[in-house]
Amino acid sequence: MAKTQLKNFDVQNFVLLTGTANEPLAKSIAKNLKTTVTNPVTIFADGEIRVRISPNLRRRHVFIIQPTCPPVNDSIMQLLLIIDAVKRASASEIIVVMPYFGYSRQDRKETARVPISSALVASLIENAGADRILTLDIHAEQEEGFIHNPWDNIYASYSLTPAIKRKKLENLVVVSPDKGGVLRATFYQRLLRAETLAIVYKERDLSANDNSEALAMVGDVKGKNVLLVDDIIGSAGTIVHAANFLKEKGAKRIFACVSHGLFSGDALKKIGSSAIEKIIITDSVNHREEVKKHPKIEIASIAPLLAEAIRRIEVGDSISSLIVS
Amino acid sequence: MLIFSGSSNRSLADKIAKDFGKEVSLVEIFTFPDGEKRITLGERVVGETAVLVQSTNSPVDENYMELFLMADALKRSGAEFVKLIMPYMGYQRQDHIFRDGEGVSLEIMARILEEVGVDEVFAFDFHSIKIPEIFKIPTHNLSALSTFAEKIKAEFSGKEPILVSPDMGGIRRIKEISEMLNLPFTTIVKDRDLNTGSICDSKLNGEVSGRQALMVDDMMSTGETMVKAANLLLENGATSVFAFATHAILSGNAAQILQESKIEKVFVTDTVEIPEEKMFAKLEILSIAKIAAKALIS
Repeated sequence: MAKTQLKNFDVQNFVLLTGTANEPLAKSIAKNLKTTVTNPVTIFADGEIRVRISPNLRRRHVFIIQPTCPPVNDSIMQLLLIIDAVKRASASEIIVVMPYFGYSRQDRKETARVPISSALVASLIENAGADRILTLDIHAEQEEGFIHNPWDNIYASYSLTPAIKRKKLENLVVVSPDKGGVLRATFYQRLLRAETLAIVYKERDLSANDNSEALAMVGDVKGKNVLLVDDIIGSAGTIVHAANFLKEKGAKRIFACVSHGLFSGDALKKIGSSAIEKIIITDSVNHREEVKKHPKIEIASIAPLLAEAIRRIEVGDSISSLIVS
Repeated sequence: MLIFSGSSNRSLADKIAKDFGKEVSLVEIFTFPDGEKRITLGERVVGETAVLVQSTNSPVDENYMELFLMADALKRSGAEFVKLIMPYMGYQRQDHIFRDGEGVSLEIMARILEEVGVDEVFAFDFHSIKIPEIFKIPTHNLSALSTFAEKIKAEFSGKEPILVSPDMGGIRRIKEISEMLNLPFTTIVKDRDLNTGSICDSKLNGEVSGRQALMVDDMMSTGETMVKAANLLLENGATSVFAFATHAILSGNAAQILQESKIEKVFVTDTVEIPEEKMFAKLEILSIAKIAAKALIS
C-alpha cells in the first residue's frame, strides 16, 4: 500500500466524527489525515444518549467512524443517532466507517423463526441516512447486498502480514480454522507467498451456542510453520481448538492473523494456555488493557489503511486498487 | 393472538397474558459473551396477530435492539400484524431539537419501529401528547392517571388534599386528574440548565398551606425534581407530601434519594420493571396491565 498521499486533498471539504465505540482509532485515523475528529455524543444518567453536532456540516462530506464493537447494542444505536443528527445538519454525503460490524455473523436463517440480524442492522444504518458503508473484513462479503447503497469492504491482511513477514518463517502453511475461511486463507497465502494451504474442519454445535470443536483437516502441517487466519475472535474457541489440533498433527510454530479481536468470556485465558505463539490483530475494536498487555497478542493498527481508504473515497480514487495492489 | 415478551418487563407481559387467560409465548433470547443477542421464536406465527411487550427503559439501547430483532423475527416468520405494547418509550424526552445541531432521537426510533414491521403501538403517558403524531402507524397514548385516581380516592378521600404538578410541562396531566377527582391543583415552575440537565430555580404557583400535597408526574428519573418540589411544598406549609409517577426510571441512586427525602410515600406503576436493588420502603407499585389488556381488544 502506498503511503497516504495528501495531494489534491482538502481537509476543508470533509469532517470526521466519532462515537464512543473506538475513539483512539478515530483519533489515529484523523492524525494520518492531518485533521481532527469530533465526538458529538453525551450520555445521560439513565443511559440515553444525545447527539449534538458542533462543526458546520452543510454541504460537507461526513465520515462517521464507529465500529459496532461491544457494547454492541449501544454502539449501533449511537451510530444511528449520529447519522440522524448529521443528516439534519445538511451534510451532502454520509459515509459510515465501521471496520467492525456487530451482528455480522447472524447473516442468515440458521433455524426457523429467527431474525436476520445482520441484514436488519445494515438496513437500519442505510435508512437512517448513510450514503456509503466502509467495512474491514466483513464476515461474509455477500452481506454488502443487504443494502442498495455502496458498501466498500477492505482487507486487514495488508496491516497484519508485515508482522508475520518480519518473522521470516520457512515452510509456512496458511490454515483456515473453518470451511468458510478458505478464500481468506488463499488471499493470505498469496500475500505471504506461503508454501500451501490447509483447512481444519469443525462441527459447530448450534444448541450449545458458541462452542465449536476441531475435528479433521485437509492438508498437511507436519514439521511446518503454521499461520491460522480468521476474521473474528470471540470467545476464542474456534482458533484455540484448531491450533491445538494442528500441534497434535505435528505443526512446528503456530501464529495467527485475525482481523477483529473481541476476546469475550475467558478468551484470553484460553489463548494463554494454547499452542498459539502469537496472534496479530487489528485495532478495529477498542481493546481493553488486559488485551493490550497480553504476551501472546500483538496489535497492528489499521488506521493508516482506513485513512487511505477515506482519502480515496473523498477524492474519488479507486478503492478496489487499494485491495488488489 | 399470541403474546411475546422481550426481557425488559416480563412480569407485566405475564399479567397482560393472564388477563386474556393465556400464557406468554415461548421465545429464546440468548446473549452471547460479546453482548450480541440471538432471538428464536418458539411458536409458529404465520398469519397470527402478535403482541410484543417491551419497555425501552435502561439499558435503553439494548432493549431497543432486542425489540427490533424480535419484530424482525416475527415479520420474517410470517406474523400478519404486530402490536407493540411499549409501556415506557425510551428517548421520548428527545422529541424536538432543543439546540442547533441536535438530532431528534425519538423520531428515528419511531421510523425504525415502522421499518422493522410494527403495525400498532400502545404506550403509556408520553412525555408530550404530540408524540403519537411522530408515528405514521396508529399509536395510542394510554394513561395511568385512572389508576392513580382510584388510589387517591381510596387513601385520601375526605382529607382535602391538593394535586401538584412538579413542573409546568405537566399542566395538562394535573388538570385531567383534578377533573377526575374534583380536587384543586397547583403547579411548580422550574428552570432547567440545558447543558447539565440540572434544575437551577423553582417556585410555587399557588397555595398549599395546611394541605396534603399529592405530586403527579409522568416519570421519576433521578428523583431530583420530586425531592426539590417536595421541599418547596413543605416550606410553603404543606402538611405532608406524596408522589405519583407513571414511569419509575429511578436512574443513579434515585431510590436512596427518594427513600431519604421528606416524601411520605412514592406511588409508581409497572410500566418499567423495577429491579430488586432499586426497591425501597416508601415505594408502592400499581399495575397498568388491565388498561393495556383492554386497549388491545378495543
